[in-house]
Order: sequence, then C-alpha cells, then structure tokens
Amino acid sequence: MTVTPTADGRRLRPVVALLAAHWESKTEEGWITRQVAGALAWVADVHVITPEGSTAGTSTDSVFTLHRMATPIEPAAELRRDLLIEGLSETGASGDVLGSPELSSLLDQGLVGPWGDASDILSALQPDLAVIAGHQDVGALNAVDRHDPGLPVTLLALGADAESIAFPHFASVFARADTVLAVTESERMAIVEHHGRPDAVRRIGAPLSANPSALSEPNGWVGDTGYLLVLTGVDSEDEEHPEYELSRVLRLSFPDRPVGITHTDAFCAWHGGRLNEGWPIERSSDLARLMAWARITVDLRPGRLFARRCVDSLLYGTPIVVPADSRAREHAQRGRGGLWFENPAELAWCVESLLEPPTHDTISAQGLSYAEEEYGSTDRFVERVAEACGLTPATAPVAVTT
Amino acid sequence: MGQPALDPEEVLERLKAEHRTLFWEPLQPNMIRRTKDNEQARNRGSLEFLHHHWALPDHFDPAVAGGGLRGKIVTLFGRLTYRVLGPYLRQERDLLAHMVRVNEALERRCDELTLRCQQLNQDFLDRQVAEARNLAELALWLHLEPPAVAAATVSPAATTAGRHGKDGADQKDAASAP
Repeated sequence: MTVTPTADGRRLRPVVALLAAHWESKTEEGWITRQVAGALAWVADVHVITPEGSTAGTSTDSVFTLHRMATPIEPAAELRRDLLIEGLSETGASGDVLGSPELSSLLDQGLVGPWGDASDILSALQPDLAVIAGHQDVGALNAVDRHDPGLPVTLLALGADAESIAFPHFASVFARADTVLAVTESERMAIVEHHGRPDAVRRIGAPLSANPSALSEPNGWVGDTGYLLVLTGVDSEDEEHPEYELSRVLRLSFPDRPVGITHTDAFCAWHGGRLNEGWPIERSSDLARLMAWARITVDLRPGRLFARRCVDSLLYGTPIVVPADSRAREHAQRGRGGLWFENPAELAWCVESLLEPPTHDTISAQGLSYAEEEYGSTDRFVERVAEACGLTPATAPVAVTT
Repeated sequence: MGQPALDPEEVLERLKAEHRTLFWEPLQPNMIRRTKDNEQARNRGSLEFLHHHWALPDHFDPAVAGGGLRGKIVTLFGRLTYRVLGPYLRQERDLLAHMVRVNEALERRCDELTLRCQQLNQDFLDRQVAEARNLAELALWLHLEPPAVAAATVSPAATTAGRHGKDGADQKDAASAP
C-alpha cells in the first residue's frame, strides 16, 4: 500500500480509519475489533470512528484517535435487524423478498442514519485504508463510499452466525471489501461458501495467552485439581433450561469427581452430592485459575464468534467438551483439543473418555499446541492482520524477546 | 509430543459404536386427544319437545266442533267420549310424565358417565406420559451406564438432589464464598 502524503508531505505512516458501531470489549466481537485496531496501530495511525458517545468529539484512547459522533445506534434497531434475519432465514423466504427495497429499508432502519457524519470525518482524515467492523454495517460502507468510492476497504466480518453471513442484503459489503478478515476457519469457510473469493478471505485468529499466575496456584473453589469445570450461561435456579439439565447430568454421572458449575448468579461446587455455593465468577483471572487446574472444561455456551473461553482453556492444557453446533467445535475438531456432543449421552461419554489419562494427556497436548500456534502469539497476529490489510510491518517496533 | 496423535473424530466414532448396541428408548405415549364438548350425550331438542308435549288433552274443546246443529252433536259426542275415556287418558298422561322424567334422568346420567370416561381417559394418558418420561430418564441412565456405580456410592442426599434438582436446602452448606 502506498502512503498518501498530506499537503505538507509529512505523513510517515499510513492512516487507517476503523469504523465500528460499538467501541467496547465486553463481547467477543468488541474485543476482537479492539485487537485488530491494536494490531494495525503497530504499522499505521489508527482513527476509530464510531456513532457512540454522548457528545461528539475527538479524543485519544490508548494508541488510537477516537472520533465519536454521538449518534448511537438504538439497540432496538439492531434487534429488529437480527429478528428479521433470523425470521426470514427460518422461513426460507425467496430471493424476491430478500432483495426487495422494502425489506432493505426495514433492515437498515435506524442503522444507516447514525453514520451520516462519518464521511465528513473521513474527508478530513484522508485515510489510506478503511476497516469496517461488522459485515452488517451497511451504513459504514455507505459513509466510506460517499467519501471515496475507490478507497481500499478491509472488512472485519464478525460473522458469528451463518444465517447473517449468507443474507443477501449484506452481500454488497463483502463484495466491496478488498480483504475480508475472519477469526476462525469456520467463519472463513462460511464466508467463502456464500461470497466466494477464497484468496480475499483471510483467517487472522486472535491474540491470546495463558496467564502465568493462573498456573502458579490453584483456585481451590472446587478442589486443587482433577475436577470438571462446567461453564453455563444460565441462572442456578433455572432448572428447566437445557444447560442446567446438562450440568446436572454431568454431576450425577460422575459422583466421585468434584464438579464446578458456573452460573450467572452463583458458582456451585459439588462434592459427592454436597453443594457449596459461592459468588458468581466475575473476574477473568478467577476463571483462568479454574480452567488452568481443571481436568476438563465443558463449555455449554461458548462464545458465538470464536469461543474465546475454549481457546483459553486449551492454552492451559485443559481439554474441552463443547456442543457440536457451536463455533467451539473447530477448536476441538481442527485443533484436536477436545470432543463435541449432540445429546446428553454423548456429553457423558465424551467426558468419561477424556477422563482416561492416556486420552486426556494426548488431547491436552494437541490442544495446547494448536492454541499456541494459532492464538498464542501477539506478534503473529499483528503480522497476519497487517499482511491481510496490505500494510507492511516494517515500521513496527521490534518485539522484546528476552 | 510424546504421545501418538489422537483424532477426536475417531474417538467419537469409537464411543458411538461402543454404545450403539445398548441403546434403548421407551415408547412414546399416544397423542393426547382433547375432550370435545359435543361428545356428551346431549340431545336437548328432543327432550325439550317431550317436556312441552307430554300433557295430552284430557277434555274436549267445543271450539273445534264448530257451530250449528252439527257442532252441538259433535260437542255432545266429544264430551261423552272424553268422559268415558277419562281414567285411561289420565293414566296415560301420568305414564308419559314419568317417561319424560326418566329420559331426563337418563340424559343426565349419560353425560356424567361420558365425563367420567373422558376424565379416566385423560388420567390414563397423563399417567402414560409421566411413566414414559420416567422411562426416558431410566433409559438415559442405562445408556450412560452409571446406575450401578451411582446406586452404590451416591448418598441419599445426592439422589434426592438429582431427582428434584437443587431443592435440598438441608444439603447446602451455608453460602460461603469459595
């Protein structure tokens, strides 16, 4: 990529404009967006443009320049869009319906308008590259095209579900992007399946690492070692929920094995039928210590984009057991770091099999190797992102290796 | 890596193959057929007719005889006939009244029995559903293999917790932040 000099000819590094509907790291989508921005910051000046904020203005956020437009997108508009996608995908609506102007207008209602001022900011920045975070952000693409229809665009797809990736309304975003970034191979394959251009769709992984302090001392909430860690996303009183039922199957199937179950409102440690109930897990360091010393991590609700908790578990050498229809399956299957299940019986068999020392040790080593190779290096992540975006990392600081 | 590589897909295939022969599922209960209101033995139209027409005439109405000499003769003959047949007609009226009452009682009883049959059928289906659910749980346990181990080692408290969920307040230690 050639760096466009400014009027006074002093531009030394490329300027990248990253357009993100949300600039926070609570979700996997938000977290990876910040990581991609951080990777780009090694080789470029990164300006983040977001509709968020209560007052419009420019500020510095770590290594980024943050442009808030104070036109936040209403959650209801995003919910309506997601419901429409899910509903139409479920009913198998025909192409005429999916491509109709009325449906497009309904899908974009309240989602394009907040990007109105972005083209002015882009005009002022004169970026060398625009990165759009989220394939559903038609408004961000419109803003880029209003500024310069020829500006190179990289799309960070954030394709958490195949239905949305396949939805025709967003095809223009994929088509316009010179490069599409996918976090996992499953996401990459889904994008290629529906939009083609396999060479333009690049898997970037994510920069994760095991916390050394988690390995130095067990948590002790369930026991020192050898326990099953079951991660759910349900309340401890929600006994009718399938995730609760599955966690119950596990603790009753392995009565001699301590079982720690995370709920949204409590952490339940079971020892031979006795329950110790404590505060819910809120700090990531607590979860890291639990995963680091568990025999197996069973994640009943993995993250929808790339199942970060499962990668974390593999980085600690703890095999995973995950639902077959989740993104986490890739880590178990391609990474050979665990097993996956389709029904309660298979869940119990998988856990039973992984408790056997030879199987456990082999799967543990395979998963650790996979996680370190594909997710365990920040340097490699930066290289992958920079290369995919056509930015040379030559100007990046030399990494400290000692 | 010290151990030989292990393919999770092969592990899963082996697990499924090992358990396939033991797989058993209970029969699903019949589809529950909801009660319809028109299944009761109500035939109110005919019963209403009986209620309104059981009382046959017990005297002659001169108005139907007409006027003139012919009318007087018909009226005289009619009164004579009703006077002669009067005891019989009163007995017949009583008989019809009792028949209507019996029919009314029979209709009520039929409806009661129909409702009772429907309730019994519903109770039977409910029980069948409950037993099927119970068998499904048993099938799962047999499929998972642990009952023998669990029965021998799990404490009664744990068994209760398993059957009813986290309802054993006495099992819980005081909530202590681990």
